[in-house]
Amino acid sequence: MTDLFPSAQTGPSSKERKYDRQLRLWAASGQKALEESRVLLVNSDGPWGKQSTGVSGVVGVETLKNLVLPGIGGFTIVDPATVTEADLGVNFFLEEQSLGKSRAAETCRLLKELNPDVEGNFQSKPIAELLKKDPDFLPQYRLVLVSGPLKRSALNALCKAARDLNIPMLYTRSVGFYSTFSLQLPPSFPIVETHPDPETTQDLRLLNPWPELAEAASRIDNLETLDDHQHGHVPYLLLLLHYIEKWKETHNGNVPSNYKEKSEFREIVRSGARTSNPEGGEENYDEAVGAVLKSLNPFSLRSAIREIFEMEECKTPRADSSDFWVIASAIREFFQQHNVLPLPGSLPDMKAQSADYIALQNIYKTKARKDIEEVTNIVRKLESILGSRPAEIPEKDIEIFCKNAAHIKVIHGCSIPEIDREARIFKAIQNSISVPDSLIPIFIAFQVLDKIVTDIQEGTLSAESLDSETAWNAQTDRVLSALTHNNQSIIDEDTQERIVEATQELRRTEGGELHNISSLTGGLVAQEALKVITRQYVPLDNTCIFDGVRSRSEMYKL
Amino acid sequence: MASADSSLRWKHLHKVLTKSGPFSDEDWVPGPETITALETSKILGAGGLGCEILKNLALSGFKDIHVIDMDTIDISNLNRQFLFRQSDIGKPKAEVAAAFVEGRVKGVKITPYVGKIQDKDEDYYMQFKIVVCGLDSIEARRWINATLIGMVDPENPESLKPLIDGGTEGFKGQARVILPTLSSCIECQLDMHAPRPAVPLCTIATIPRQPQHCIEWAHQIAWQEQRKDHPFDTDDLDHIGWVYNAALERGKQFNIHGVTFQMTQGVVKNIIPAIASTNAVIAAATTSEALKIATSCNPYLDNYMMYAGEEGVYTYTFEAEKKPDCPVCGNLARNMTVDPEMTLQDYIDTLGDRPEAQLKKPSMRTEEKTLYQRFPPQLEAQTRPNLKRKLRDLVENGQEIAVSDPAYTIDFRYRLLFK
Amino acid sequence: MLKIWSMQQQAENAEGAGGKKKKKVTAAQLRVQRDLQELTLGSTMKMSFPNPDDILNFTLTIEPDEGMYKGGAFHFSFSVNQNFPHDPPKVKCTQKIYHPNIDLEGNVCLNILREDWKPVLNLNAVIVGMQFLFLEPNASDPLNKEAADDLRQNRDAFKRNVRASMAGGTVRSVHYERVMK
Repeated sequence: MTDLFPSAQTGPSSKERKYDRQLRLWAASGQKALEESRVLLVNSDGPWGKQSTGVSGVVGVETLKNLVLPGIGGFTIVDPATVTEADLGVNFFLEEQSLGKSRAAETCRLLKELNPDVEGNFQSKPIAELLKKDPDFLPQYRLVLVSGPLKRSALNALCKAARDLNIPMLYTRSVGFYSTFSLQLPPSFPIVETHPDPETTQDLRLLNPWPELAEAASRIDNLETLDDHQHGHVPYLLLLLHYIEKWKETHNGNVPSNYKEKSEFREIVRSGARTSNPEGGEENYDEAVGAVLKSLNPFSLRSAIREIFEMEECKTPRADSSDFWVIASAIREFFQQHNVLPLPGSLPDMKAQSADYIALQNIYKTKARKDIEEVTNIVRKLESILGSRPAEIPEKDIEIFCKNAAHIKVIHGCSIPEIDREARIFKAIQNSISVPDSLIPIFIAFQVLDKIVTDIQEGTLSAESLDSETAWNAQTDRVLSALTHNNQSIIDEDTQERIVEATQELRRTEGGELHNISSLTGGLVAQEALKVITRQYVPLDNTCIFDGVRSRSEMYKL
Repeated sequence: MASADSSLRWKHLHKVLTKSGPFSDEDWVPGPETITALETSKILGAGGLGCEILKNLALSGFKDIHVIDMDTIDISNLNRQFLFRQSDIGKPKAEVAAAFVEGRVKGVKITPYVGKIQDKDEDYYMQFKIVVCGLDSIEARRWINATLIGMVDPENPESLKPLIDGGTEGFKGQARVILPTLSSCIECQLDMHAPRPAVPLCTIATIPRQPQHCIEWAHQIAWQEQRKDHPFDTDDLDHIGWVYNAALERGKQFNIHGVTFQMTQGVVKNIIPAIASTNAVIAAATTSEALKIATSCNPYLDNYMMYAGEEGVYTYTFEAEKKPDCPVCGNLARNMTVDPEMTLQDYIDTLGDRPEAQLKKPSMRTEEKTLYQRFPPQLEAQTRPNLKRKLRDLVENGQEIAVSDPAYTIDFRYRLLFK
Repeated sequence: MLKIWSMQQQAENAEGAGGKKKKKVTAAQLRVQRDLQELTLGSTMKMSFPNPDDILNFTLTIEPDEGMYKGGAFHFSFSVNQNFPHDPPKVKCTQKIYHPNIDLEGNVCLNILREDWKPVLNLNAVIVGMQFLFLEPNASDPLNKEAADDLRQNRDAFKRNVRASMAGGTVRSVHYERVMK
């Protein structure tokens, strides 16, 4: 037998095969971003006191595991700790022979085994020392992961340095059955590929078709004369356009605009279907009827995009603005001219003959291409006005931006929250604490623990204070009174009880980690790290709290 | 009992096992007994989340862990299954994973079995305290669920094996705890698994519009027509290559763009995206519940946690409901003492008189035998001779039969015990 | 520890149902048992079970008593897997027949066998759908494009082709199996 279709000569490369399951989520562009990124893990800041070994850093190592496997470019572990017995009971990336050795060196060695494509380094010195000694240390990283708590002074210095360099930072805490982590992003962190649900993001322009689309619809004017086969295969989109024109004729040129009119319109469409066939109906009409409510909406700019258009960076891009803002600015100009965004150009599948569908798809694609060209021209014009930019913005980036224009996002990052730092955080906590099942009490319990640790580190409390009723009560009272100092009613008895319970639960391990909770948290933190590095999907803004007692999590903007 | 050395090593874990917390059960007695209970609990892990599950169980203090996996290591596993290396490709997952974790965590025993969960019977599953599964097929999930539910003997509390199930897809996943017969089971929750979206066969055959339609045509129609004698193997890159080329050709013919090798593989193998981080979240969610159930150190999940990570960190924890008409846990097998000398016809007559369910027109079977099927007529005629046969010739003592009757929307199961 | 584990363990099952536990009827078998019982087969349909103990695999024969396929006997193999009713049954025509909705390999284009399958549907729904295909072959969404074109363009010629193919003749250079009763 002759083989009509011989096998492919060139299949995927071994790298594509290894990363196949993730390339389907973030594509080659995301993978490239990952491979070009180095990540810094600050996994402890040395012991807390004489008897205590300090943070075990399991979340940090588990997070790195989830970044080494998909192939980040490289990592550095900063950890002055020495491996102890207790480490072996909770950290998988240490072994018997690691006892007594540098934890940074040992975790680095065992993590590197996971992926030969990834470079790994370590430093057994405290982070504060590294920052002070070498100003070029921090800038080589795209992301900083911190296993808290660090010494207050070291954490502040690191937060500030990362902020000044616009390097995102993830600060994690995991103790017993609880964990929390916060993401510090630069003041403006734009994302183009947010990957919204394709179901909710269709932009078909049925109420304001451009001439070529309207023309295609007018070609089915003879709907009634089509034979059954043709009639049953007219793409539903054209059916809707056709019936909208009919509607306009009897409604002073207006389109169906409210629920009542749309329902009425839907019945008109429904009654157009032929039912005298074997199936007793037509699929394309069913699709048209089903699409009326969700597709017959005038174009409206989502408020998130409107806000972006109002931002100073968008209104007046500068020579040193990032490519994002130059393109956003061009799209803003496009919108001002046309009152719509560039057409994304994708068409959902629908019942139709192959050639008819492809023709319709081409109408959408062609229009999208035209819009991209127009935006590109505006971008080039802006570039020449702004002058002295390092390189021309790649066409591919403009194209991706246009396709995603309706769903771009800008996150305004804020600092790692600390309870007595800013009035804003007070407010946020006060607002969310009284919600039933709020997880804020866990966040407060962590703050209490961190204050005790700070006092131990500064020598004002002994290491045993981790399990001292007096120390916990004193710090809890301090935090509570800070929270209530201007409004006693914020924390009622019930809330206070929940805070006390959270501190009791947190005290059970005296600051120690449980592997499951740290591994779970390492998964969540790595997920956020991947989104930040690939600039795809939407990262946390800004704090997540996980309650392993009740298996729940919540997000808060603190 | 824990030695001084091991209490140093497990100090964090032992603290939550020796101190009660504000949420642990009032009746719980923390201390050495709890630690011993944990260390002697035999636990089973299975499925695609196996690497993470084994690591977590070992570091949760379980000492006797069994693992079942039928697969061998493929290059595409290396982006998340962290116990495997390039040089392990082709080796059985269960064995490589077990050896690795045993080597890394002192004092843990891991027993691998290379095969399907369906290879094992109730006697095997009876030895475990808890079953943790990260299976990738609905069929396997339904099987283990039905098996564990069928094992529950109300007279023997030890026969209740909590099933902790985890699954992931891209950035999403879920973890759930099932207490067989007591809480909502996998079968009760079956409608939460969306069926795989399918395209009409006639679209594929005559009016393709999408590159995926061209691939389905090449895979389901062209291969059948042209390579009938070669069974299609989704792991054979040459086969995928053939389908890819056929799909490319078909795309050209219909002006459809976008057929790629990667897409071809995805459609043909029904590939679900998978990453290390989501697997870590879900696996740890399941093993954390295992630790809580085995020790009572905190309340366990009741009973479902969903996770979605595309936009921030979203979880939703709720109690899925037990369905009263669930075909698996809705009507459990009851013991029924029968005279083995009785004919099947006599037995059927007695069913009609039973007060709890007057089964007037029953059809019934055992797992391997159709005892009597009232309709369709051909099968009725084939099974009619059984009516005259004695029960002893049709079923074994203690065997379970399942009975359907048009008067009831639910089916009945009886365990026939010979007088 | 699960509370119910710590309950006083009671004496071993007094009745001591002998020996090893036996395999249990699976959810798929149970559902098929019920579905079979609830079938309504007209005089035009027969089923046969090569192994009566295996109710997941059987043959359905349709003998239309009206329409263009009157007088024929069409055999379909049904194969139900253990994931039923989550998965639909697999149905194939075991003869080579000339029909717009059935291709030469025996694949059947019926929406509820694929894209529109839902676990609440039962075997009866499938069988009713299959029967309908012979009363009203559907030209608009075909699997056998030539047959569909014939049906659309010249119904009489199509009818003649159906008769010829059923008698074991050749249509458009394809040889068909004789399927007359």
